[in-house]
Amino acid sequence: MANELRFLVVDDFSTMRRIVRNLLKESGYTEGDEAEDGVVALQKLRNSNFDFVVSDINMPNMNGFQLLSEIKKDEKLKHIPVLMVTAEARKEDIVLAAQSGAAGYIVKPFTKATLEDKVSLILTKLGLK
Amino acid sequence: MHSTTTHPGASSLLPADIHQSIGVLTRQLHDALNGLGLTDKVKGWAGEIPDAKSRLSYIARLTGEAAEKVLNRVDMAKAQHDHIAAETRRIGTLIVKDPVGAVAKGHVMNFLTDVEQSTQQIDQHLTEIMMAQDFHDLTGQVIAKVVTLVANVEEQLVQLLIQTAPADAVVKAPTHVAATELKPVLEGPVVCPEGNPDVVKGQSEVDDLLASLGF
Repeated sequence: MANELRFLVVDDFSTMRRIVRNLLKESGYTEGDEAEDGVVALQKLRNSNFDFVVSDINMPNMNGFQLLSEIKKDEKLKHIPVLMVTAEARKEDIVLAAQSGAAGYIVKPFTKATLEDKVSLILTKLGLK
Repeated sequence: MHSTTTHPGASSLLPADIHQSIGVLTRQLHDALNGLGLTDKVKGWAGEIPDAKSRLSYIARLTGEAAEKVLNRVDMAKAQHDHIAAETRRIGTLIVKDPVGAVAKGHVMNFLTDVEQSTQQIDQHLTEIMMAQDFHDLTGQVIAKVVTLVANVEEQLVQLLIQTAPADAVVKAPTHVAATELKPVLEGPVVCPEGNPDVVKGQSEVDDLLASLGF
C-alpha cells in the first residue's frame, strides 16, 4: 500500500528536494511532487491529492511554520500529516512545530534511516500503512 | 629614519604632526558615529565578526567532510565494481571451458550471490554519496547569513559616508534593499551547538524533547 501514497516535498534547495524524493523512492514511495516554498506547496495541495508532506522550515515567501498553519486551518487539508525536515535546531522551534500540528520533526543533517523511520511511524499511526 | 622626500603625502608633516592628525581624525570619526547614533551598531559589528568567522569555518568544515565522504565512498564503490568485473570475466571463462561443471560445481551460483551482495553495497555507497550533497542546503543557509551581515555593515558604512560627506559632494543614497529587511527571522543551521542549551545537538535530542512533551 505504501507505494500508492502520494507525498509532497517542500524545500527551497533543489538539492535537498532531490535527496528527499530519492530517499522516499528508495523506501517505496514512488508517487510524489515537490515545491520550492510554502506558497507553491499550498497551491499544489489545493489542486491535487497528497497523503503526506515533508517540509523544510526556513524558506522564502512562505516558511514551513506558515505552511503548516495554513494546512491546519484548511478543512480539506488539515488531515494531511506534515513532517518537518529542517536545520532549525532551537528547542522553541521544535516545540512550536509540535504545538502547531506537525506530525514529526527531523533536524538536518539526517540519515536515510531517520527519514524512513519517521515517515513509517507517522503513516502507521494514521492507519495509512 | 623618517624621510620627508620619499613620502610626498606626508612631506610637510613631522611624526608628532601625523600622530596629532590621526588623533583628530579618530575624534571626528567618533563624534560622527556618536552623532549618527551608530556607536552601538559599530559595537554590534565587532561582535558579529567572530560569528561570521565561525560560520565560514562551519562551511569549510562541512564542505571538506562532504568531499571526503564522497571520495571515500567512490573508492569503495569502484573497488567493488572492479571486483564484479573481474569475477564476470573469470566465470565467463569457466562457462566457456566447462558449462556443466561451472553450474554443477557451484561457480555460477556463487558468482550470482557475490554480484547481489556487491550491488547492494554499491547501492549503499551511492545513497551515502547522495546524502553527502546535503551540505549544499546547510552551507547555503549559512552563506546567506554571512551575506546579510556584510550587507548590513556595508549599508551602515554607506549611510555614514552620506551623512559625513562635504556639503558640495554629490553622494547618491543606496537604492538596494536594506540589509535588515533581508535578515531572516529563523536561525538556520547551528554552527556551534556546544554549550548552547537552547538548541538540540542531534535527532535523538529532538525525539527526547518531543517525547517529554507527550508528542
